[in-house]
Amino acid sequence: MVLEAKNVKYAYKSQKEKEILKNVSMQFEEKKFYTIVGASGAGKTTFLSLLAGLDTPSEGIILYEGEDIRVKGLNCHRKNNVSLVFQNYNLIDYLTTEENVRLGGTKNPRYLLEQVSIPCEDWNRNVLQLSGGQQQRVAIARALASNAKVLLADEPTGNLDETTAAEIIELLKRTAHELGKCVIAVTHSRYLAAQADEVIMIKDGAVEKIIIGGYNDEAVKEL
Amino acid sequence: MNSFQRAWRSVIRKPVKSILLFLIVFIISLFFLSGMASRNASIATQNITKQAVGAGFLMEANEADKHNRAEEILEQKGEGEEGNFDGVNVEKIETEYGASWRVWYDNSFQTLLLHDIEKISAVSGISAYNITTAVTAVNPVNFSRIEDDDVDQSSDLRCVSLIGSKDMSLDTNILSGNVTIKEGRMITAEDSDVCVISEELAEKNNLSVGSRIQFNDRHDRENAEVFEAEIVGIYKVRQKMTPVMSGDTYRSENIIFTDLGFPEKAEGSVSGALYEKAYFKAADVNQYDEIKKEIRKIDIGWERYDLIDNNGNIDTMSSNFNDLEEVSQMLVIVVAGASLIILFLAFVFWMKGRVQEIGILLALGTPKIKIFGQILLEAVMIASAAVFLSFTAAPAASKITADYLVEQQVRQADEQSVLEANKVAKSAEDSEETVTGVSVEVTPELMLYDWFGVAVLVIISVGAADLLIARKNPKDIFSEIN
Repeated sequence: MVLEAKNVKYAYKSQKEKEILKNVSMQFEEKKFYTIVGASGAGKTTFLSLLAGLDTPSEGIILYEGEDIRVKGLNCHRKNNVSLVFQNYNLIDYLTTEENVRLGGTKNPRYLLEQVSIPCEDWNRNVLQLSGGQQQRVAIARALASNAKVLLADEPTGNLDETTAAEIIELLKRTAHELGKCVIAVTHSRYLAAQADEVIMIKDGAVEKIIIGGYNDEAVKEL
Repeated sequence: MNSFQRAWRSVIRKPVKSILLFLIVFIISLFFLSGMASRNASIATQNITKQAVGAGFLMEANEADKHNRAEEILEQKGEGEEGNFDGVNVEKIETEYGASWRVWYDNSFQTLLLHDIEKISAVSGISAYNITTAVTAVNPVNFSRIEDDDVDQSSDLRCVSLIGSKDMSLDTNILSGNVTIKEGRMITAEDSDVCVISEELAEKNNLSVGSRIQFNDRHDRENAEVFEAEIVGIYKVRQKMTPVMSGDTYRSENIIFTDLGFPEKAEGSVSGALYEKAYFKAADVNQYDEIKKEIRKIDIGWERYDLIDNNGNIDTMSSNFNDLEEVSQMLVIVVAGASLIILFLAFVFWMKGRVQEIGILLALGTPKIKIFGQILLEAVMIASAAVFLSFTAAPAASKITADYLVEQQVRQADEQSVLEANKVAKSAEDSEETVTGVSVEVTPELMLYDWFGVAVLVIISVGAADLLIARKNPKDIFSEIN
């Protein structure tokens, strides 16, 4: 396994009595596509943030390839071990498409842009001139640029229409199955969740259920 | 892509933000340079002013010494004695309440001694000198004085005022530019029985250059000998000379400049002339301190005199230009304080607008120090361009600032001189004409100070603004974005 959460608890420092996450333990493997689902405020995004090293658990640890991510530092974890994709794309507005991908650390951004189907005439345009779907593809290309083994996505299709969302989901699946990465996506979308190899359902800060097996009608119904 | 590459792209591709910061820093830098240049300019102006007015030394009688000498004389005289004791007059007055004593000094007791004046005038570095008599009230015989019914005449002597000068061109009224010759000429050391009257007096009596006017002793108007002086010039004033006492005798229009010996004759003095002031002009203002040392070495009874640097006019202007230095200094301090606040606020808003970018870079594993280093780098790039451009505009801006500050100071000096005016002959001043120009130079040293000052302000401001973001963890930043 590449990433593991062990007995993770989280509470805001100002509200220590209110736990956002309650003793969550999960293991994630490479070449798999995971989705995390749950109601708003269930703790999905917080869990993803802890996996990404954007914050540290109040209790418990996050392990990357068996090592506590704090040992080498959260910056190092974010730079080398995980890459992030956000709902609102989070691209840097004064850089071109190609330059945004280059930020991920690759020396060959054009290859990645081809992989995510961004036409070459858009490579040197300001990234904000692209459509929403294209911007999310660029964000995924940037995430792939780092060679990190884990890709974390927070509502990656939240701002996209159905057709574009389907394309992005396909891209994430390919990233997991063809590129061998561990893809973990937080989502409200049943369709996206149903595409996953494993669906982790979180309720009130705890893992309620894990559905294994990818897309099937039963799984969608449960969601 | 490293921090420098990102910083450069941000500066170039976000022009509104860059231009705004550029303008702020440009203006701050200009104010700094103008303030510092004006501060240096004020010293140059002070010297120029001294030269223009005529740097010199004014000698007056020491009042404390006069009192002490009189005390000594009175102690030595016999009990109940009356008369003149070395210039101190003592008179017994019988009243219904008993006897009282009146003591007054004659001219010989009060006057500056001519041989002392001549010793000082012989010092190397003194190019010319003037002696001025005390204001002397005499009776006008064949002409009428200017009168005003509204003036309090209760103690008026019904006279005109004479001021004797050895060299009228060195009179402080002339040096200050307040009194100028309208017709004719000034009085020189070679003149005898000549005078220069006011244009108002000339008009009232239909007098012109070449006319002769007569005076005699006011104490015996009917029988005293009449002395005649030829009018060689008619003067005008920009600002009326302030009377020493009430009454029309001492009003500005009734002041008549004469040759040095004339007042003594006209008032019928039996105790000689009363030389009230002597003015010694320094040939070279830059040698001023050396000349002063030489004067002090002269063996005369210095306890009898006050030697005043320059004259009242220059004292006032000097102090005002020292104020200019303080004002300039204050300008620099105020600009520094205000700039710090403005820059801090500008960078706070700047950082607020870049929270998303900071969050993205943090998510990509970029350390905070590198992110804030990039922002500082951008600020330094823009500030450097602004500072360098301000160097080219600084000479013009500094000149405008210095001119403005000097103008304000001169105006203040004018107003102050009016308020402090208390003597007929010397207190009215017009300093405006004495400032021939203000020299402002923006030196490389000033540029270095400016660059350093702006750099410190930018670093402190960016640092303080950074702290507002740096204390948050990446998760909080993303929460803020969303």
